[in-house]
Amino acid sequence: MKKASSIEPKNLTAQLHYRGEGNPPSSHPSTAVSNCYPGLEMDFRNVWKHIFEGIVLLEYSNLVTGVEPGADEKIQRLVSSGIQYELISADGIPMTAPVTGPFRHSPEKIHDTISLEWSNALAEILPKAGQFVLCKFQNNNNLREILSIDLKVRHFFDVDLNRNGKVVSQRVVIARELAGPGDLTQSLCSPWQNDYRECDCFYWAASRPDFVNVEPGKDGKSKGNNWMQKDRTESGDKKYISDAEDGIAGNPVLISYQDLFAAWEENLRFIIAGKDEPLKKSVKKVKVLKKKKSK
Amino acid sequence: MAIHDIHEIRILPAFAIARLGSSPEPMDNYDWSVPDPVGYRRLVPAETFYIDSNTGKILSRKKPDEVRFRDSKNRIRPISPFLEAWACFKRNGPLVPLTQKHLNELDLRASAIKWRVQLGNNKAFRRTKDPRDKILADTGFYSDFTKRLLLGRCDNFLKGKKIPFGFGQYIKPTPNFPEIRFRFTPAGGFVYGPPPTKDQEKSSTFRSVLKDIVYDTHLGHWKGYQDLDTDPTTTAPASIFANAGSDPVRSLGYLDDECDGILELELQLKTKKLKAFARIIAGPPTFAPDGAPVRTVGDELEQALLGTLLNGKVNRADIENILRRAMETVRLMNSSLMNHSVGMAWADSSQYGRASQPIMDPNVVDNLAIVSRHEQVLLALESGSLAWFSRLLRHYNEVGDLTDEGRRKMPALMRGADGSHLALTRRMVQKIQEAADLFQQHKHIVPGKKPKNNQ
Repeated sequence: MKKASSIEPKNLTAQLHYRGEGNPPSSHPSTAVSNCYPGLEMDFRNVWKHIFEGIVLLEYSNLVTGVEPGADEKIQRLVSSGIQYELISADGIPMTAPVTGPFRHSPEKIHDTISLEWSNALAEILPKAGQFVLCKFQNNNNLREILSIDLKVRHFFDVDLNRNGKVVSQRVVIARELAGPGDLTQSLCSPWQNDYRECDCFYWAASRPDFVNVEPGKDGKSKGNNWMQKDRTESGDKKYISDAEDGIAGNPVLISYQDLFAAWEENLRFIIAGKDEPLKKSVKKVKVLKKKKSK
Repeated sequence: MAIHDIHEIRILPAFAIARLGSSPEPMDNYDWSVPDPVGYRRLVPAETFYIDSNTGKILSRKKPDEVRFRDSKNRIRPISPFLEAWACFKRNGPLVPLTQKHLNELDLRASAIKWRVQLGNNKAFRRTKDPRDKILADTGFYSDFTKRLLLGRCDNFLKGKKIPFGFGQYIKPTPNFPEIRFRFTPAGGFVYGPPPTKDQEKSSTFRSVLKDIVYDTHLGHWKGYQDLDTDPTTTAPASIFANAGSDPVRSLGYLDDECDGILELELQLKTKKLKAFARIIAGPPTFAPDGAPVRTVGDELEQALLGTLLNGKVNRADIENILRRAMETVRLMNSSLMNHSVGMAWADSSQYGRASQPIMDPNVVDNLAIVSRHEQVLLALESGSLAWFSRLLRHYNEVGDLTDEGRRKMPALMRGADGSHLALTRRMVQKIQEAADLFQQHKHIVPGKKPKNNQ
């Protein structure tokens, strides 16, 4: 193990990439999924909810869900009277994009709008931390009503400021003001095992594998197993079994929610080089509470 | 050189991820090596600290014989990261690992360092909006070397009940291992909840899956909670909690021992108090530990720190790393299935009423063909294939383009944090495009550092 002996305080990139002595790769954020919908290790979208002083945003859309204590009167308007406002631009940068494409009833086209994920949409706003930027909010019920409010951008990372508000020192830890204990994981599945069986969560394949034991079949096409299949010992071409393909919700050949809640460690297998880890014969059942006798 | 002051302390890594597992034996350290440019990463044993958990001392540091993710009883070994105190002894001086020797020079003992762990699980609170549903663990500041249990308390729990979030331990510095460090060991990944109903108790098929009964249904409303269509602030996706599968989807009131929070350090010097903090998270294991996701929290943090522009600092190792992660992702995806009936193909129709069509030509979307195409790009960066790849990349503001051409952009078939088709971070896209431009001009790019263990 190569031990880092010193790092310049201003070399923030080195600090960000530092893994620590004795820590394997999977302890570093560079192995945690960030296309969070809602995420596995954390729902990183939560980090953006408090990025503007005074307002609280929804983690996955541009809706204003609250204002912070002490916010001025103009900001208070964003949540008064039951009206919903959405942040449509900040410093002139759009927070939404059009949705286009062929509608199912041809020849109609889709005309819709989607709010962009915060991380990319706000990327050019973050360097303005400590400054006010002009934010435009649209009334959800009356699209012509736009509120323009100058909001201060919070520092994303922990900083020390001088009397003039200038950054004199920065660290690579996410600022406290952006998320308290429990905030980064709050919108994940409860319990987390749900996400291993929930519908269509195949977009985190590198951490939550989907298609395993893949090899060419007799027709030259890929054949493999669903990671959720209980039995993967078939001979001949492997068959990927899914709820969707077989039209059976809760297909009993797949690991169930209950299986995961009770004994996820024995049911979920590590995949190394695309293949199942070898199964051990003596598997200890995870201890679960015995059913109480009815009185 | 003797030191007379500490100017600043930082905790590194600043963001550590623990991974759940019920084994009492924490996971050994390992590393990745890449012997074949398009093969799987090899898991290589790396130097591991072995701790006496009673004393908090490091007994030895050695490489294990093999990388084992389970113990002899088949339980998963938790990833229990170390967090280190780094100090700067004068303004603009370098950061170095803080040691017992440094403290001695300041007439301080190791116990002068105080640690505090605050962890939370706000999953029930996020839904019910009842602050009494927050589960919080707080050790307060302390400075001994014992295993400190991190017990999650909640106002809506039954009397005396808690959810263990694992434990923290200040590692006792010794002459052989004098550095000041802390270790966070997460919980076992158990499920908790409310008492069974009378009907459940009577049912012969009822199977309790709970590690402990903790939630008081007379105090809180997590059990029975449902996401309402009229509430615009539900999570996305909605209704992602254990439920009875009924319509409407009602919560069974289950909770888990995942958590996130803050590790703090304080050191009182003669004239000032130094403080530092880091973030810690406990999440599930990576079940394909020889790969990494195509877009990661590391990418988000890098963009937040360095911005979207490269300023000419593109390097080959970065490009290879992104392409390798894309390849590692598609290797484990059933691309044929995701092309038509699930995932984004399904989401486009159900969410926006898009005409239901496969995203790609079904003849070219087989997993092996897709993996092969990624391998070709990775193997021949300079050949022009990167330029082809970069033209196909989806920009962050094109995620709503559901035309055939728009849906076929890269990364394909995957979902982003906004629920739409996935785009990489703008910085990642910029890296690939700048590299592709340089190759087209027949210019070389700097090799860059291969990812190393520590930096």
